[in-house]
Amino acid sequence: MTRNIAALTAHVLVLALLLGIFGSLSLGRDEARAQTKFTGELERNVTLRILENDTAKEKGYFRELLDAFNQAYASYGIVAVDANMDQYTDLEQDGPYGYGPDVLYQANDALMKYTDGKHIQPLPVEQLSCYDQISPEAWEAYTVEYCGEDYIFGVPVNIQGPLLYYRKDLLPENWREDWDRDRDDVPDMVEYWTELYAYSKQVREESGGSKFGYMKSLFDTYFSSGFLFSYGGYVFGAGGTDPSDIGFSAGDASKGAWVLRQLASIMNQDCIDDTITVNAYSMLANGTYFATMTTPDVYTLFIDELAKEYMRAENLGEADAYAKAAENLVAADIPKLPASGDLEDRDGETVDSVMMGGINGYAISAYTKAPNAALAFVDFATSYEMISRRNELLGIVPARADVATQAGGLSETVNANLMAGQIAVMPSIRAVAQIWTPCQTFFSDLAKDPFRLPEEQKYQTLEALRRALEAVDEQIYAAIHTLN
Amino acid sequence: MRELMKNANGRVTASMLVMGLGQLCYRQWGKGLMYLAVQIGYIFYLVTVGARDLFGFFTLGSVESNPWYGIEGDNSVIMLIMGVLAWIVTILYIAVYLSNIKDVYATQKRVAAGGRPARFREELQELLDGKFYKTVLFVPVVGVCVFNILPVVFMILVAFTNYGGEIVPPALVDWVGLENFRKILALGEFAPTFFKILGWNFLWALLSTAINYFGGLSLALLLNKKCVRGKAFWRAFPILAYAIPGFITLLGFKFMFSYGGPINHYITEAGRQAIGFLDLDAKWSARIIGLLVNAWISIPSSMLLATGILSNADQSQYEAARLDGAGAFQQFRYLTLPFVVFSTTPVLISQFIGNFNNFGIFYFLRGGLYIDGYFLASDTDLLINWLYNLSIDNNYYAIGAAISLIIFIITSLISLAVYVASPAYRQEETYR
Amino acid sequence: MKKRKPIHWGSVADTAITYLLLLAVGFVFFFPCLWLILASFSSSGSIYSFQGFFPSGYSVDSFRKLFTDTAMYDYPRWFGNSLFIATMSCIFGTMLTILTAYCMSRFRFKSRKALMKTTLVLGMFPSFMGMTAVYLLMTQFNFINNHWGLILIYTAGAPLGYMVQKGFFDSIPNTIDEAARLDGATNFQVFCKIHLPLSMPMIVYTALTSFTWPWSDYILPKLLLKTKDTWTVAVGLMSLGETEFSRFAAGSIFIAVPIVILYLCLAKHLISGNVAGAVKE
Repeated sequence: MTRNIAALTAHVLVLALLLGIFGSLSLGRDEARAQTKFTGELERNVTLRILENDTAKEKGYFRELLDAFNQAYASYGIVAVDANMDQYTDLEQDGPYGYGPDVLYQANDALMKYTDGKHIQPLPVEQLSCYDQISPEAWEAYTVEYCGEDYIFGVPVNIQGPLLYYRKDLLPENWREDWDRDRDDVPDMVEYWTELYAYSKQVREESGGSKFGYMKSLFDTYFSSGFLFSYGGYVFGAGGTDPSDIGFSAGDASKGAWVLRQLASIMNQDCIDDTITVNAYSMLANGTYFATMTTPDVYTLFIDELAKEYMRAENLGEADAYAKAAENLVAADIPKLPASGDLEDRDGETVDSVMMGGINGYAISAYTKAPNAALAFVDFATSYEMISRRNELLGIVPARADVATQAGGLSETVNANLMAGQIAVMPSIRAVAQIWTPCQTFFSDLAKDPFRLPEEQKYQTLEALRRALEAVDEQIYAAIHTLN
Repeated sequence: MRELMKNANGRVTASMLVMGLGQLCYRQWGKGLMYLAVQIGYIFYLVTVGARDLFGFFTLGSVESNPWYGIEGDNSVIMLIMGVLAWIVTILYIAVYLSNIKDVYATQKRVAAGGRPARFREELQELLDGKFYKTVLFVPVVGVCVFNILPVVFMILVAFTNYGGEIVPPALVDWVGLENFRKILALGEFAPTFFKILGWNFLWALLSTAINYFGGLSLALLLNKKCVRGKAFWRAFPILAYAIPGFITLLGFKFMFSYGGPINHYITEAGRQAIGFLDLDAKWSARIIGLLVNAWISIPSSMLLATGILSNADQSQYEAARLDGAGAFQQFRYLTLPFVVFSTTPVLISQFIGNFNNFGIFYFLRGGLYIDGYFLASDTDLLINWLYNLSIDNNYYAIGAAISLIIFIITSLISLAVYVASPAYRQEETYR
Repeated sequence: MKKRKPIHWGSVADTAITYLLLLAVGFVFFFPCLWLILASFSSSGSIYSFQGFFPSGYSVDSFRKLFTDTAMYDYPRWFGNSLFIATMSCIFGTMLTILTAYCMSRFRFKSRKALMKTTLVLGMFPSFMGMTAVYLLMTQFNFINNHWGLILIYTAGAPLGYMVQKGFFDSIPNTIDEAARLDGATNFQVFCKIHLPLSMPMIVYTALTSFTWPWSDYILPKLLLKTKDTWTVAVGLMSLGETEFSRFAAGSIFIAVPIVILYLCLAKHLISGNVAGAVKE
């Protein structure tokens, strides 16, 4: 009996002892020494895995960029390759375990989300050749303050802000007489929302409801929230850094909601869900829609679809069709809004539209083995040559001022808009994730309102709209704070 | 056990000290070496990672990592998970250790009774016969432990930490006891939404299980009728539906019922107003569409199942019933239904659970809505969707885990009660 | 031999109704699939150039693109990956499930009831909550971007669904085994020689389901497979751009092909194997 108990105890004790010794050994560890990563000395013979967006790959830009870089850095043995991952991949999930890319191209809100967990590296951007060419407003989107000091985490490449896309060949023939009251040789309906509203109404009536003027899925927060911002709304206070101050109902934002409700009335019910977002490409091409609002990066998709339509309907050759499509598809600045918020008010004062936008750029993973080589890649990819090539191939709006000026047109306008504060850059904090569902619910409710029976309509007064927006704010607040 | 402790001889004691030693003394080389290998393996595991992991389970890390400066600290979540794994390994080790003692004691008794220690070959043979179940169940049990029990234990444990929100690695997670449950109870908005969703969730699970089950059964019966020719052909249609992955079907149906979809196309073509089948006012139409779409997805597999089961039914009973003049309905009521229900009660329960936790349906059909009167949820959301909104969308893992623990306790108690009361569990021998 | 049967009007009506019902069921299940098939043959990429359910022009372009235009969307490769994962999981999963079910049905041991209850309860835990755990575990075992990691998870999870098969084994009379046992067969032999052939329909059912699950799963592969060359069809399809609907439809149709083929091959086993008949002789 005792012998057995002794044996058992001995067995357990030995194991417990081993456990104790090696367990406590694992507790004590050397204090790892902090090291600066950007020494300026390029790592040799390393492979950089680059995450790019799908359009850049599809249009062949990414291949060109990789080839050019690999050639330039061949002597160091640095090779940049496609990370070959989903373009929206989450570094927070992959990075710490060694599966993430070394360099990422994503939108500013996606990238800045990583700063919380220190997953991307603060960059010595002053060293980069593009530093002086990019406006402070663009840098601002990548700046975070830690312990009283500003750190910059990404390099802006391209500014994403909504634009109005319309078909020049669908303008009424007599627009110079009837639709150019300010005589600036630009059709009024692409300059003023009031005119676009009037024109859409006319198109719908004349076609018996089979054709439309302006069409856009209104439930899409990214595009619809801009109407609130134009009248004083905002996402978060303190320049987008204070999630306890939610401002969708701030200022006269209810006027913006009123504008949206009026716009819904000249569309059809497709604006309630995401139908128009998906069908705009083909509907604009076949002439059912005259105009829509979307971002610059899908420009090529519209061109493709329109060219296809020309080839089919008018039997044009491919080159001719593309030329004609490029000629007729115009991407213009967002029109001006009536100060009163009433789209019937064609002669009143106007205000500039403020739209939600984003800035896509490069960031470097904090888990990369070769930070200096990665920085060299970012420097290379944001050089004048590469950005202007990118602009040529992808039709993006470059954040580099020199390329924007040289490209002129839209690129210049959007850059100017950003500097004039007409692009409200999406806040770069994690709480942004909470705004989408409440906003989307409200906007689809709003879009549906004109299609309800008169006695069931909820949003007939500015007061009702203001209350609804306040409810949205409260809901977002609850989502962010109640469980925290 | 007492008896064992009292009567054990020196060889048993040797096995208590070092696993397999007693067996080796009995010249059972193969078995002894295997036990010894387990002993050495466990010590090796303990020394290399096991001890660290078991300690980590309690501390959940002490050094915060800072990737900016290349400081590699502790990842609390990994530590928690590897800690659970270390516990599982340890429990398995204890089980093997006990079996080692019992084994050598059995040999002792055998020898004392005048027998000889079993040969390795004999033991192996026994594993294919009397202990066949041990051989077979070993792999599934280990697999289920690592890939199913471990995640569940992990989530249950997370409910007692502050993991989530701002506190995700590299920040260090800590144990907080019942704090999360206190938070949930203190939350005024929580209870009304919880009960509203719970009610709908039960209704949904009941209805969809009934529809799918009886739909599948009647389809199988229909195809089993004598007069149907080309059974394989007719059965191919539901199979086709079965062959298309669920998420594609759901996206397809969502589009079909959207404002720009084909159904509304015909409605507007006919000069009527488009109908928002799934939009934010569409409470019941969305729920019904959900039920129907779910039926479309699930009936084929439940038909397959019923077909398989029916092929096993005792035909002689039907003959006898026919001779007794029983009609088709009576045959169904008194022979088919009891038989099928008997064979499928456990399945019925697991289908009920599957439907209760059916995440995909309303996530794909009608995601991204918060309806008035619900706290961060919509009126078609099931508890699991709500959980998703609360935890994944918001990163509140600990709260999410706490809520799922509550749901888990409720649902598991109910289904256990049903299962234990079911004939399939109480009278397994009925049809033997 | 040539005795003419009198016509039973009742049974004629019954047959007619049966066929009508079958037609209706066939239509309900086939129509959405047909719609998808038509969409895959649409000449325009966008689904909005349809007139209601039907596209305005047809071409096989999207199928051609699906298999040749692989620079961005390498469908053939994804298809191969899926096939590999699903086949392996199917083989191992079916084996484990059938064996587990057999043991739970035929053996009486101490922890049996406890095991049965545990497995039932396990399925009830909201699964996505455990996904994080599975992901982290796989990063520790270096199973990310590795198909075997997925196969391991699917195989390990398969035996949890043993209930159906156990119910089936429960309905096979014990007398058969006893006879064999008297002839001196071991349990293993009884299983191989007697139960396996008898349970063909169940094996087919199990194989079908354990093939279909990994084949059409989206969440797990999305979580564990990071690089595009390791993706499965489900993950790949979901990454298709929004203007590529006909390609998406073509891809979706093609996903169904292996399962339908598998079914056609196995169909005759699904209904044969009448146990009760076999015993009586």
